Amino acid sequence: MKTIHNLLAQLLLFMLLGLLFSCDSFVEVDLPKSQLTAEAVFEDYNTANAAMTNIYSTVRDKGILCGAPLGISNQLGNYADELVTIENPAKQGYTFYHNSLLPSSTYVSGYWNAAYNQIYAANNIIQGSQASKNLTLQQKNQLIGQSLFIRALMHFYLANIFGDIPYVAQTDYKMNSTLSRTSIKDVYKAVILDLQNAIPLLSPDYLSEERTLPNAAAAQALLARVFLYDGAYPQASNAASAVLNQTSLYGLESSTNVFLIHSKETIWQLQSELEGQNTADGSYFIFTSVPPPSLSLNNNLVASFAPADLRRVNWIKAVSKGAATYYHAFKYHEKNFTPASKEYAVVFRTAELYLIRAEARAMQGDLIGAKEDLNKIRNRSGLGNTQAAGRQEILDAVLTERRWEYFSEYGHRFFDLKRFGKLDAVLSTVKPGWDTADRLFPLPQAELAVNPNLRPQNPGY
Amino acid sequence: MNYFSFYKDGKALYCLIFTAILFTFSSSFAANSSRHFSPIFQQHRVQGIVMDGNFPLPGVTIVVKGNKNGTITDYNGQFSISADPNDTLFVSFIGFKTKVVPVNNRVEINIKLEYDTTTLQEVRVNAGYYSVKESDRTGSISRITSKDIETQPVTNVLAAMQGRMAGVNIIQTSGVPGGGFDIKIRGQNSLRSDGNSPLYIIDGVPYSSDPVGSYVTGTGVYPTLVSPLNSINPDNIENIEVLKDADATSIYGSRGANGVVLITTKKGKTGKTAFSIVSSTGVGTVTRFLKLMNTQQYLAMRKQAFINDGLTEYGIYDYDINGTWDQNRNTDWQKELLGGKAQISDIQGTLSGGSENTQFLISGNFQRESTVFPGSFLYKKGGGQLNLNHHSDNNKFKISFTAGYNIQDNDLPAYDFTNEARYLPPNAPALYTADGQLNWENGTWSNPLGKLNSKFESKTNDLLANTLLSYELWPGLILKSSFGFTDLVNSETRIIPSTTYDPSYGITSEDSFLYLNDTKRNSWIAEPQISWQKPVGGGRLEILLGSTFQSQTTNKIYQSGTGFVSNSLIYNLAAAKRITVYTDDQVVYKYQAFFGRINYNFKQRYIFNLTGRRDGSSRFGPGNQFANFGALGAAWLFSKESFLTDSSWLSFGKLRSSYGITGSDQIGDYMFMNTFTTSGKIYSGVSGLAPSRLFNPDFGWETNKKFEAALELGFLKDRISTSLAWYQNRSSNQLAGVPLPGTTGFTTLQSNLHAVVENSGLEMTLRALNIANGSFNWTSSLNLTFAKNKLLDFPNLESSTYGQQYRIGQPLNIDLLYNFIGVNPQTGIYEFEDLNKDGKITFPEDKQAVVDLNPKFYGGLQNQLAYKGLALDFLFQFVKQKNRSYPMGAAGQMLNVQERMSGSWRQPNDTAPYQIYTTGYNNDVLNGDYLYTESTGLIVDASYIRLKNISLSYDIPLNLKQTKCKIMLQGQNLLTFTKYNDGDPEFISYGYLPPLKVVTAAVQLIF
Repeated sequence: MKTIHNLLAQLLLFMLLGLLFSCDSFVEVDLPKSQLTAEAVFEDYNTANAAMTNIYSTVRDKGILCGAPLGISNQLGNYADELVTIENPAKQGYTFYHNSLLPSSTYVSGYWNAAYNQIYAANNIIQGSQASKNLTLQQKNQLIGQSLFIRALMHFYLANIFGDIPYVAQTDYKMNSTLSRTSIKDVYKAVILDLQNAIPLLSPDYLSEERTLPNAAAAQALLARVFLYDGAYPQASNAASAVLNQTSLYGLESSTNVFLIHSKETIWQLQSELEGQNTADGSYFIFTSVPPPSLSLNNNLVASFAPADLRRVNWIKAVSKGAATYYHAFKYHEKNFTPASKEYAVVFRTAELYLIRAEARAMQGDLIGAKEDLNKIRNRSGLGNTQAAGRQEILDAVLTERRWEYFSEYGHRFFDLKRFGKLDAVLSTVKPGWDTADRLFPLPQAELAVNPNLRPQNPGY
Repeated sequence: MNYFSFYKDGKALYCLIFTAILFTFSSSFAANSSRHFSPIFQQHRVQGIVMDGNFPLPGVTIVVKGNKNGTITDYNGQFSISADPNDTLFVSFIGFKTKVVPVNNRVEINIKLEYDTTTLQEVRVNAGYYSVKESDRTGSISRITSKDIETQPVTNVLAAMQGRMAGVNIIQTSGVPGGGFDIKIRGQNSLRSDGNSPLYIIDGVPYSSDPVGSYVTGTGVYPTLVSPLNSINPDNIENIEVLKDADATSIYGSRGANGVVLITTKKGKTGKTAFSIVSSTGVGTVTRFLKLMNTQQYLAMRKQAFINDGLTEYGIYDYDINGTWDQNRNTDWQKELLGGKAQISDIQGTLSGGSENTQFLISGNFQRESTVFPGSFLYKKGGGQLNLNHHSDNNKFKISFTAGYNIQDNDLPAYDFTNEARYLPPNAPALYTADGQLNWENGTWSNPLGKLNSKFESKTNDLLANTLLSYELWPGLILKSSFGFTDLVNSETRIIPSTTYDPSYGITSEDSFLYLNDTKRNSWIAEPQISWQKPVGGGRLEILLGSTFQSQTTNKIYQSGTGFVSNSLIYNLAAAKRITVYTDDQVVYKYQAFFGRINYNFKQRYIFNLTGRRDGSSRFGPGNQFANFGALGAAWLFSKESFLTDSSWLSFGKLRSSYGITGSDQIGDYMFMNTFTTSGKIYSGVSGLAPSRLFNPDFGWETNKKFEAALELGFLKDRISTSLAWYQNRSSNQLAGVPLPGTTGFTTLQSNLHAVVENSGLEMTLRALNIANGSFNWTSSLNLTFAKNKLLDFPNLESSTYGQQYRIGQPLNIDLLYNFIGVNPQTGIYEFEDLNKDGKITFPEDKQAVVDLNPKFYGGLQNQLAYKGLALDFLFQFVKQKNRSYPMGAAGQMLNVQERMSGSWRQPNDTAPYQIYTTGYNNDVLNGDYLYTESTGLIVDASYIRLKNISLSYDIPLNLKQTKCKIMLQGQNLLTFTKYNDGDPEFISYGYLPPLKVVTAAVQLIF
């Protein structure tokens, strides 16, 4: 026993001395296995590209362009006159339908924060790629081109939702935390410049078979839209034509095929997360029993279609029980998983470019050209040529056509009404909660609290 | 055996611990056997019983003078010892005066011990690396013992501490079993709300309180992630010490800023082998409900809301009022969904005993608790504890080994019904159809019980082992080292089967989800130390030197599966068609320190205590890893000065003070690195990488300077003892997740701020032995804390991102609110003060009214009464504070509200406390309601006095030699006195179940 005690005592002394004199490197740790240093990421195209594709999955899953119920396809549909929500008042979606958004809304801050996080990620790639020693010029161009496109896209939506917003083109948080708001006009200027820089860097072909990575045409399509919103009609026409002229790649599909994965109409779509998964919008909008669980299409919208309109026939579905009939958007047919995915969320499709060019042409006085583009969309849906005559009538016809063509897609309706100056006229009659100040969302309250340069809050909040 | 596959650093240590265990076993066996053969040498046997006048005293030490021979009385106070006929016995016991009894040829001696109230000062208090006699203590340490814990029917160690310690504020965040607690020791030091946890040390091993689990897999019934502290079984605890001031905490350096909670588990004691078994059972119910509208009141409100909004017909979705739902139904949803009884039962067995050299304790326990929610859910917890102590015959070598293993199996609903129970319209449909199926009322409502199909299960296995070896090299010079090992495995499962939804939606098992989150955390620690003590210059000098090496590794894997063939396979990830791995990560934390203590006690009157520590942590970047901390404490026992030694009234008097620096590294790991993290999201065939954070390589240690001065007094032979302590802690170089605008891409950045936060306060304790006449004893103790928290300095606060969160001179925990004026008698809408007079209510200009939600004071009053075998112990906890009333949304919508909303404004010139109803269409009213929830109008007095704990126990007088039987009735939160109307006043998170009222009955058997 005694020897054991002595042995232990000696061991103790030995350890004590040993440990007292060990060195400081003890507290240095290696990187955790899930992380890579920022420098390392941009020294290998595979990892740099993983940073790029991650932006697309966050765009799909978070913020403005994500699927229903969180994204604007649903919420701006509720906010305008496309959808009717029956969510419980305790839930946030209710506030969109009632046009009673609050500055503290987590949806509002969610849109804002996610968009700027996506912009940060894009700026980070631009910066990292430029500094990289190992990436080839072509690889750098691809990464920078796509990042510029994402940066432009997110700023465009932010400006249309929030009004004047800070334009962020760098990653430095010291600078980014005190930014002031930039007027929409200047945001558009910067967005246009980004897109013009991006187009030559991006390949005209797709890097992925399913058009899930944006190419030069996607940037062109966005550019056409921004020019239109900015009132630069000749440029809008030209940008639209640049895509429409690539007839081997792009064209209108029959109304039943428009939203399928291999549709020729698609310019850019967001791949679903899992194999066999379809779109979040399809899952959320489609219902099979009445009353519907969350929302239905606004009856006014359904009633506005001509009965023969193929969009009314193929893109809207009625569900009835007894005398009660409710409608849901049926652009995406798949509510659930299928053995292989059939539909992805289409962000840009060719039809919009015809409508952009029609509007831009009408604005420039090219009424014949305008009607020609408009009729392309109408004819595809089984409707005859437009009877509109004169500039204003044609423009009104474009607005109506857009309502039919783009309902429940990424808030087009709301943005169109705003661009045409018709928000108050149209919405105040059908939405009891509507008032003029609702044209802009409130800036997130937390944002105003931490950056005084963003004050004052948008009017009405 | 997976978690024994140890990482390279720990292998050697682990072997050592293991060897130590083996040695302990062998030596204890040897010691026992040698004792068994010793009686041959006995000359004379003396036996008897030790009493306190009325009752036998177990555990009394009896030693023969001039001889190592000693024994301890058994549970009946009986003893037997060998002694010469002319020997003298020394009989001693804590709390009693030591008695000297000559044997005088007697063979039977019955001894009566007298209470010694002064010995309270003799208790040795655990200060972590050393222990100190209560009277010689220079630091601020609060303490509770197993006696206080045993009276409480609680499963969490923090619950056992609630209301019992000055300066320690504990709030229970959920009434669901396995839920968490919020603890602040001497206020909030850090701007980070999650940077205020104290350091927990169990038997010398730091125990990480960092939550495990994930918000995605986690249950919706907890407002926070699962805290590992639930693994600790309160029944196993001998005592808990809370170290508060610099003198006590500086030796913990960087981790002592928020205080240190030392938990000591029960140890084996010399004496006959005893077996004790305690079994209890009881029920828990919700303390208070909100007073909500009934159907009649509710429908009247709804009708009025439609009139107010100028709507002439009810909408198709207004089921409550358009005739779809039965307007004569009236359900009290709180009763229906939260009104259940939680069944609580607990059984605990302990076997302990030992020889002079070796003692052991083995205990096991099992607890189960159900919920107040509908459905059958169970929280189960079981564990075992082993302790072995041994010392060599010459007392030079000592070893102590403790191991505890606890298993928790927590089966809970994935949703908390508290919110739903409050806002569901009272005429909402029945939960079940006539044939017992869930009623979906033709798709017009989402049946809350559908959510019961979504389940949460958390399993936690937790091992904590510790070995302490010490050897006295020369008299006064002791080498010692502790080795600790912890291993925690937590697996969380959450399922969302398709049956959660109305079956008419056509959702199938193809859309059922399974989420799995596994956390494994293990750590080892080694703390070699040398201590030396020697009489020097008329006093006693003690020196302690030591070092700490600690490493903690956390592995996390979080994955989900969907697409099941059938819901019956939902727990099988392999049965899922699509599996996503979101996180697969390993996090390492390493920590190293050198520490020391020099204590000099001059003439038992003047005591100086100097402590210091140099710390290094892997949480900081190169160049910032190391920092120094230290403190000086001093005490003057003025009652021992000649001019007071003869005082008839003052029996004890001490002045003490301390000043020092502690720190905090609670910032999370790897925060100084610029990295990308795998996101687990696959797009276009590539698994994504996301930027981890905005990084700042330069942040360093947060420091906390603590000052304390205290006066401790004892009167009338310490029958009344009191202490008064004043403290002032200032933390600076704040480590904070600085809020950033979203435009930076993130919303926070880890950084040091040059803000200074001061916590100051006054802590009072008073203990009085009101009556002690042998058969009847009555003791009262009071603790009272006045605490103030203040932001002293914050350069450029106005223009910083904290500009709308803090105010110089105000506490951190303030709310900046709109100043509520009342309801405008003409418009019927809430009005607020327009501070900048711009004609509208704007943020942030008008949201400037400061409201302090810190408690003004809090404390507890405990009374212990004992008459013969009957003991009554009760504790009142009181808190003076403000809180928010429960916001229910604008009245008039399809949501139930408080009954008091019936008094809402109806027509011009009404003076009403609440604004006009709306169905949800009047945006001015909705905005008014929103501003109201952000205004002073919502703030009400939420002070309360609560009968936190009451316990009545009775020792059944049995005429059996070895057997004792005790029955106990215990209650927790039985009575609450408060003006607060919206449920339980003790809540900090909306919509979660507050603490329950618990009553249990227990039986204890010892034989």
